[in-house]
Amino acid sequence: MAKIVVLGAGISGHAAASHLRRKLPKEHEVVVVSPNSNYQWIPSNIWVGIGRMKSEKILFPLAPLYKKKHIGYKQAKAVSFYPEGDQKEQKPYVLAEYVFGEQKGQQEKITYDYLINATGPKLNFEATEGLIPGKNKAYSVCTYTHADHAWEGLKKLIEQMKQGKKAKILIGTGHAKSTCQGAAFEYILNVEEELRKHKVRDMAEVTWISNEYQLGDFGMDGMLLSYGSMTMKSHEMIEMIFEDRDIKWILGAGVNKIEDGVAHYENLEGEQKSEIYDFAMLIPSFSGHGFKAFDKNENDITEKLFKGFMIVDANYTPKPYEEWSVQDWPETYQNPTYKNIFAPGIAFAPPHSISKPRKSKNGTEIFPAPPRTGMPSGITAKIVADNIIDTIKNGKESLTHKGSMGNMGAACIASAGFGMTTGSGVSITTYPIVPDYEKYPKTQGRQLSKTFGEIGLAGHWLKLSLHYAFIYKAKMRPFWWLIPE
Amino acid sequence: MTQRISKYQRFKMMNPIIQFFKYIYLSIKIMLIVAGGHGSTRKVN
Repeated sequence: MAKIVVLGAGISGHAAASHLRRKLPKEHEVVVVSPNSNYQWIPSNIWVGIGRMKSEKILFPLAPLYKKKHIGYKQAKAVSFYPEGDQKEQKPYVLAEYVFGEQKGQQEKITYDYLINATGPKLNFEATEGLIPGKNKAYSVCTYTHADHAWEGLKKLIEQMKQGKKAKILIGTGHAKSTCQGAAFEYILNVEEELRKHKVRDMAEVTWISNEYQLGDFGMDGMLLSYGSMTMKSHEMIEMIFEDRDIKWILGAGVNKIEDGVAHYENLEGEQKSEIYDFAMLIPSFSGHGFKAFDKNENDITEKLFKGFMIVDANYTPKPYEEWSVQDWPETYQNPTYKNIFAPGIAFAPPHSISKPRKSKNGTEIFPAPPRTGMPSGITAKIVADNIIDTIKNGKESLTHKGSMGNMGAACIASAGFGMTTGSGVSITTYPIVPDYEKYPKTQGRQLSKTFGEIGLAGHWLKLSLHYAFIYKAKMRPFWWLIPE
Repeated sequence: MTQRISKYQRFKMMNPIIQFFKYIYLSIKIMLIVAGGHGSTRKVN
């Protein structure tokens, strides 16, 4: 009998637990440890943040589902890792602290045979002075509660604009190394569309601020893509959309301080600048959770497990951008020291960024960190689950399931306005996610037939379909596994 | 404001009939790209 502990119940952790439970006989134990009581479909937070969807529509409680499906569940947060056990406990374990109920505040050693660390990122708001969701007129849409607050703030501003107030709206990244530009991109298009629907668009100046060197970088070094019968660069496509919607942009901006209605930033020229606003939505930087790890003698072995995020089978050798290779990226998400520990989704430490690193004249690094959206998070979680299942069933280590982000496609269906007949979406697919310049040297590392962009109403329908399909899948309704990650 | 998307392009982007077929086409294409497989990038000696 094996015990698999999954840390985190987001897209990655929940996908791993679901597949493990479906494919493993009941004698094996699957336990999810998460401080969150709800599963949330994060991509739909965008619609919560413009008041077009209630947050209840994008979440459901985990405890009843896990009880029904015979998945153990502890509403607790991981504190530290003991991959060799300790003097009293022979088995490896994770020290976790309960965050809810009668056991709140109590710590427990949760032993495991296999550990899946799917704790995702820490939303590192503290890295930018004054960037606090809901404070200083700055908001976030990273969680459903943040998105609810963002809508409250936006709604108030729209009411003021209807009374004649001219407003400045700033949306983008809130740190020099933020990622998730795609979410901010969706939000700015949705906000702009909402202003039109409320007939106050002419009262607002809408500005995109980002650490990207060019528009359409999205933390993936941009892309060459097919658009209709044309081949264009992603920055040309996004420029077209922004110009058409009268959205201004500031690029190469490392936001470093937020005051009430003022965003201070450094640009690649090394200049310190400021942008005033009445409403801002700025994505924070992501970081690891700062977990510590100890061996059985309680010596600190954090560096064997973590490099900010968790160390996996990537090539972490420091090297210049010109020598980066697609082979640097992990394939099995297994920790090289402790082979029974895996880190899919956003929990693994990337070998390097995907976008070209750039520094300002003052030496400040200003470029996007690598994004890992829902799709690769789900795929990598399934790869890890399948390898653990094979290993348990075969009785020896099996790592036949592999999936590098350099050999994996992803779709970004960016909502550009909500409405069954008036909505819009920008659908972009990219293959592979990490460009492979050896395989596709003439098309900027991507396969052109699988890297394309489309704009239109169909994009909105697609995003809405994905919302319902993935919540159905997450609820583990009949034949849920037929829906791909 | 610079009109970068022509009226005809916008009509095509927002026409429900055209977009219905686009929706079917995109759903299949995206499914093939995303669910079409993934794997290693490293050469095995």
